[in-house]
Amino acid sequence: MTTDTAPRGAALERPSQPRTLGSSQLAWRRLRRNPLSMLGLAIIVAFVLTALLAPVIAPPKEGARDPYMMPHEGYSPDPQPPRPGHPLGTTEQAFDIFYGLVWGARTAFRVGLVVVATAVTIGIVLGGISGYYGGRLDETLMRIVDVFLAFPGLILAVVVVAILGPGLERVMIALALVSWPGYARLLRGEVLSIRERDFVEAAKALGASDPKIIARHVLPNSIYPVLVVSTLDMGSIVVYAAALSFLGLGAPVGYSDWGQIVSLSRSWILGSAGNALQYWYTVVFPGAALFLFTLGWNLLGDAFRDILDPRLRGST
Amino acid sequence: MRRLRRQVLLLLALTLSLSLVGLTGTATGQAIKNPDTFIQVSFGDWDTFDYAWAYDTSSHTIIFNVYEPLIFYDGGRVDRFVPRLATTVPSVANGLVSADGRTYTFPIRQGVKFHDGTPMTAEDAAYSLRRFLMIDRDGGPTSLLLEPILGMTKTRDDKGNLVLRYDDLQRAVQVKGNSVVVTLKEPFGPFLSIMALWSNVVSKKWAIANGDWDGTAATMAKYNNLKRESSAFFERANGTGPFKLERWDRAGKQVILVRNDGYWRTPARLARVVFRSIDEAATRVLMLKAGDADSIAISRREQPQVEGDPDIRLIDNLPWLRADAFFFTVDIDTRGNPDVGSGRLDGAGIPANFFSDVRVRRGFAYAFDYATFLRDAFRNQGTLPKGVIPPGMLGFNPNAEYFSFSREKAIAELREAWGGQVWERGFRATVLYNTGNVVREVGARILKDGVEALNPKFRLDVRGITWASYLAAMNDGKLPVFWVGWVADYPDPHNFAFHFLHSDGTFPKGQRFKNDELDRMVTAAIKETDRDKRQKLYFQINQKFFELAPSVSPVHQVVFRVQRSWVRGWYNNPVFPGTYYYTIFKG
Amino acid sequence: MTAFVLRRLLLLPFVALGVTLLIFGLLQMLSPQMRAALYVTDPRQLRAIDDIIRTHGLDEPFHKQYVGWLGRVVRGDLGWSETAKMPVAKAIRTFFPATLELTLFAVMPIIIIGIWLGTVSAVNRDRVIDHLSRFFSISGTSMPTFVWGLLLLMAFYGAWQLFPPGRLSLEPSMYVLSPKFRSYTGLVTVDSLLNGQIWIFVDALRHLALPVTTLSLVSCATLVRVTRSSMLETLRQDYVRTARAKGLESTVVVNKHARKNAMIPVVTLSALLFVGLLNGVAITETVYGYPGIGLWGVTAAIQLDAAAVAGFALFNALLLVLGNLTADVLYAVIDPRIRLR
Repeated sequence: MTTDTAPRGAALERPSQPRTLGSSQLAWRRLRRNPLSMLGLAIIVAFVLTALLAPVIAPPKEGARDPYMMPHEGYSPDPQPPRPGHPLGTTEQAFDIFYGLVWGARTAFRVGLVVVATAVTIGIVLGGISGYYGGRLDETLMRIVDVFLAFPGLILAVVVVAILGPGLERVMIALALVSWPGYARLLRGEVLSIRERDFVEAAKALGASDPKIIARHVLPNSIYPVLVVSTLDMGSIVVYAAALSFLGLGAPVGYSDWGQIVSLSRSWILGSAGNALQYWYTVVFPGAALFLFTLGWNLLGDAFRDILDPRLRGST
Repeated sequence: MRRLRRQVLLLLALTLSLSLVGLTGTATGQAIKNPDTFIQVSFGDWDTFDYAWAYDTSSHTIIFNVYEPLIFYDGGRVDRFVPRLATTVPSVANGLVSADGRTYTFPIRQGVKFHDGTPMTAEDAAYSLRRFLMIDRDGGPTSLLLEPILGMTKTRDDKGNLVLRYDDLQRAVQVKGNSVVVTLKEPFGPFLSIMALWSNVVSKKWAIANGDWDGTAATMAKYNNLKRESSAFFERANGTGPFKLERWDRAGKQVILVRNDGYWRTPARLARVVFRSIDEAATRVLMLKAGDADSIAISRREQPQVEGDPDIRLIDNLPWLRADAFFFTVDIDTRGNPDVGSGRLDGAGIPANFFSDVRVRRGFAYAFDYATFLRDAFRNQGTLPKGVIPPGMLGFNPNAEYFSFSREKAIAELREAWGGQVWERGFRATVLYNTGNVVREVGARILKDGVEALNPKFRLDVRGITWASYLAAMNDGKLPVFWVGWVADYPDPHNFAFHFLHSDGTFPKGQRFKNDELDRMVTAAIKETDRDKRQKLYFQINQKFFELAPSVSPVHQVVFRVQRSWVRGWYNNPVFPGTYYYTIFKG
Repeated sequence: MTAFVLRRLLLLPFVALGVTLLIFGLLQMLSPQMRAALYVTDPRQLRAIDDIIRTHGLDEPFHKQYVGWLGRVVRGDLGWSETAKMPVAKAIRTFFPATLELTLFAVMPIIIIGIWLGTVSAVNRDRVIDHLSRFFSISGTSMPTFVWGLLLLMAFYGAWQLFPPGRLSLEPSMYVLSPKFRSYTGLVTVDSLLNGQIWIFVDALRHLALPVTTLSLVSCATLVRVTRSSMLETLRQDYVRTARAKGLESTVVVNKHARKNAMIPVVTLSALLFVGLLNGVAITETVYGYPGIGLWGVTAAIQLDAAAVAGFALFNALLLVLGNLTADVLYAVIDPRIRLR
């Protein structure tokens, strides 16, 4: 959907369900055969390394109290182009773009992982229960999901952040709150079709307990669409958080967060008279980081689907 | 596939033809776009066009061009008046102000017609003023005139019951022949300067016909604290001013004024003034460059984008009757408060009364880098602070002694604070600003960096919160240090001295700050009628403001205006809520 | 079918109740002072906070406020929106047509481009054209809307003055507001044609061009992805293989056989896309100064204008339920194997 709207890909998109799980070796071979998937993997690995090595690549200033705050010399209102010491230039209020992008990789993973993990966990628990037990419980839970899905996503996120106050943690809470219903509905659909299968019936007949059946038989066979969608969401969540920054509800100014850095560029997309591209670096570099990150997760998501979906296997 | 390709081609063709239409529809070069229409593009919305209800500059700008007051400011002067709907400016010399300074007589101009063609009378003028005094919506402008005329700040008691008496209202504002006579409770120096902005005249007949107050005692309670939308003046107008309100186009987010051809002076040169609201600053800049806007509102941040363009004129360094300050709360509500750390003076927080020690406040004031703030937040436009009263106003002292950035003095003050405990143990607290306000944000960070550089045990965090939280927390005394600004309601130092220093003023209430001596000084200064003596009193108040530092003025701001070079006839008066379009034309 | 439609519509009150409970519940986390801030635009009004709380009954307990609000809604009064300065129902009526118009124009290119790119990708799986189309759609989603919006505006308005921001230029706007112009639908493009004013129609289209392009750019990726995978799946089906084996021309196979079946999930998505666009245009509207409902919704949410947010959410829930219903009905029309129960 638009980056305006909530990351509700999960609700709309239902990747076809797998029937069996291929061996991991097979998966790896398929992944390796596709250059695009490898590219996606390479991008994500590069970002992981950047995030892990942030203190080495962009060491914080001596005595800096919070390494996530971008260092700045002065508070100059105008961005300054790349120069020695500031390889990607500085943005408004003299924040160093390079530092912000490097440490922003950590923020991106943190936001993506926390939001997706929270949303997926809630989605799995509620969706799983709903799908497995069915009946009135299912009906109740799904009506709650309906309510959350009917609430305009951006508005809900904005209301939550406006109530809790701006800040990255609050943004994560808001985004998780907006994303979980999609996963719940997706998983419920999968569980519904799995629970009628022979092997589940067989396990039941053998007297296995419900939690055990869910954990051992139902979930492993219904989780793949969730996995694919959550991979795609990893990228889009970060872009979505940028929209909240644009509305003044994101991380504080100066915090190493790509969305925050991109929204700082909103005033600098126009250059000055006679030099329309004067401030290009305020848009291009953070934009490139966002693009590559989203691209990486998208390619990886596509790869996962291709690997996990048996119906696509072997096609040319 | 083929069909799809055809569709795509069709789409392309459509786009192309649209582009061609666009090209031919574009004005070329220097030709003046819409020569007799002025387009002002700003952000934000209009509240209401009821002159007694509106208290924001957007709404007031419209009211200002549609209605007229009894007297008006003389050109760019804030201390001299010219008659408008009155024929003479009252003074003791011309006998229209009584010797005791309490009774003002305004002879009303004859032959002025409202926009609907009916003549304006003294009865209309009196009705308008009484209605202004009586409406008194929560947080509205009524108290500005209610205080000098009737000596009360509100028309309701704490339970919301009306306590304003009709008889008092009638006695204070009377019609005598062709004049309106206003009697004040006590002499009040700035009375005329309030009247010059807030005494707009509306048609009583029109108001009653449209369901507004009929001017009687019986219906007063019904219209007191009127709901915005219940007012007859909410989105319609019938004034005497040079422009008529044609329409408030809610769906298009624009307000359209048209020329009043029956104006009692020479009609305006512009046939139409259109106000449009566009939230995104970059979009406004582009509209100005394209000539689709004649003037736009932007901040200092966007300034480079309009500089160096021969079609655009940037007029800078315009005086502004405004004061800013960062305030210290001397009795912080520390319950569940994330901004005071541990809530104790243990190096990890601050106690509730941390800022009640004047040395802490003065130490902070010396740690602030004023020159850097002026340079980076205002592009060096404006002046270093001299106290609470802005330049260009009575009581401003260009030679006043005030804070400047000094590490040594800051250290000296803070070493002494709380018997040396502050220096020894350190502290942690938060400076707050409302998100989106870049100036306050930069200021907060400069304060943080300045204070933290004094001692490694000092820690100041900077936190932006939404306007709603900011306001509520300010009211609750939860913000240790906060930034606010105040734009003059009328050009008199009392407006600043009272709200910044008097314990009943707006900000000291939020700070929980009270100083009996200051209260006395502020009250004495407003009662004084001699100009020179008043000036001296405000000099003393300002000196006290420096010594006690309940809040610290970081800068004296100026404003700038951005308009197309073809705009002519514009002039500025710092007290105007917006542009006065009567004199403007394009050429 | 009728029973199905009725049952789905019966859901509406439940969803509506839940949505409003959610928003009012959330707002209970605020102190009365914070709720009063909605009415305070300037610090000079700080002294009036207690009066405002009393006047608007902001300190009343949750159930009282909610039940009072609900009672008024049942009587058809959605309350007053402080941010729009008009009743909520009127605000929806005022701002919705502009957004509907924008969405109607945006949904066409999104679906056309999305389906076209998705099909091309699937047919040419793992070839250059597949990669290119995926890159294109991913780059659309990977940049925040405002970046695209401002870039397009800078080029097509700032540099070439082709497509201005806003909804109408000065003269068309004045004409539309004049009594000469009759408003039938609130959609300027439609109304201008009905009034026989082609120049206004053209002007409206020029203003729509950039927001529509922006929305297409940021929204078509999902559709491309779903079409692609859905096509890939159908292309593997036996009957498509048979058709190919029979020696049918590849384009015929794709168009006649494969795409029709691949369209099923796409149709569902498109109907939802429409609703998604309606509540997701806020940032596009901000950038282009396009006065629509999304802009109002976000402003109301930021300022915590309770009645406005609740009204907006109710309206959105209604659209969503109707959108889902349309999707399901379309689903059944396309694929006769599916029966609505």
